[in-house]
Amino acid sequence: MLLESFDYLKPQGLIEALELLDQLKNEQVRVLAGGTDLIPRLRAETEHVKYLVDLADCGLDQIAFDRDEASIGALTTFAAICRSRQVRDQLPAIAESSSQIGAPQCRTLATIGGNLCSAVPSLDSAPSLLVLDARFRLQSKHRERLVPAEEFWVAPRRTVLEPGEIMTHILVPVSDEFHASFLRIGRRKALTLAIVNAAAGVRLRDSGEIAEVRIALGAVAPTPIRAHMAEQVLLDRQGTQDLIAEAADVAVTETFPISDLRASADYRRKITAVFVRRVLANAIWQSMGLHLGLHQ
Amino acid sequence: MKKSITLKVNGRTYPLEIDVKDLLIETIREQIGLTGTKEGCGTGECGACTVLIDGDPVNACLYLSVRAEGKEILTIEGLRNGAMLHPLQRAFVNTAALQCGFCGPGVLLSAKALLDRYPNPTEQQIREGIAGNICRCTGYSKMVEAIRTAATMLQDGVR
Repeated sequence: MLLESFDYLKPQGLIEALELLDQLKNEQVRVLAGGTDLIPRLRAETEHVKYLVDLADCGLDQIAFDRDEASIGALTTFAAICRSRQVRDQLPAIAESSSQIGAPQCRTLATIGGNLCSAVPSLDSAPSLLVLDARFRLQSKHRERLVPAEEFWVAPRRTVLEPGEIMTHILVPVSDEFHASFLRIGRRKALTLAIVNAAAGVRLRDSGEIAEVRIALGAVAPTPIRAHMAEQVLLDRQGTQDLIAEAADVAVTETFPISDLRASADYRRKITAVFVRRVLANAIWQSMGLHLGLHQ
Repeated sequence: MKKSITLKVNGRTYPLEIDVKDLLIETIREQIGLTGTKEGCGTGECGACTVLIDGDPVNACLYLSVRAEGKEILTIEGLRNGAMLHPLQRAFVNTAALQCGFCGPGVLLSAKALLDRYPNPTEQQIREGIAGNICRCTGYSKMVEAIRTAATMLQDGVR
């Protein structure tokens, strides 16, 4: 008798699921992906649900690579992402963040879409997807739209998803020339929310100047964020150590960290500067075909 | 909301009348009566309730029983082979890898999932394989040693 009662519905296929969610959109309804976030919240009675719609049979757990884009079904588990050779080879920042989430038991169940839709500030899938310029496909019975990652999160635990609408796919550009790197730190290595997580991605010109750069940070603002001002510091310039350090200091000014039981705001600012330096350096090294041994 | 389902646990099929809100930890312990699976935190953080579903480790406290229909569930009671303890269990006994033992069922099943995937794991892989199992007696070194011993036993054909 650990959970309060609810009706459990398991639509067969996406069309049936969207139809069902449309009918129930004025009810207390939640969709079930991996359940690693939702089930404890139901148990703690932080959330209440009358209808639980299980999306397991909607065919949303496939990873597909096109020439220049990868499509990851929202219900793909982190275990499946970690096992995908194509993700490891072509989207290593996503493989890296996925492999550090929770622990093996969690990764068996937890899904990338569930992680994104939980919309917690520390969600580990966000920084890599932000720097890779991912878009999320959101579908309801009445419409389908593509939302850039940066526009998806509104506030802690709030996204642009509307009643009756679900995330179905994560679309990620794939390029041989754009290299991204991810880092996280928590109180421990496993089973802990991030104190700070960070990613950077760069494309270099043959001359070595930075032609394209994105920096993203988590757990230092109400939602995952891009550090646009820091990116501007780097653009069209050589990624020297001094410039990277300057950009890292600018990135810190773009954060709004809080103090909580995991870390103080001050510690988060200090780590942000260190992490921005490291992920930038690693992304630049990767672009030059080298690797910096900085993974913890 | 009641539902009739059949669950396959340790190779046996159990016809059950469950509520759709029942968690696998409740069904396994209270209905089927297999109390080897322990509940620790109840929020998916300690790993004491780890079972294998289709070979993959899962926290039974996070999993609705209704979702387990059609899947193979392995609990600690199903790890031994008849009268013989599994090599992992023998290695844990011989290494004295457990103290109070409460985390043991979960650790052993995480270790089994690991060895099924990586028969000859590195120490790093072993530590990552049991990273989701918290031991309050802090005996991880002995566990790592025991898992490595069991890996060698299994590779030598010991069953």
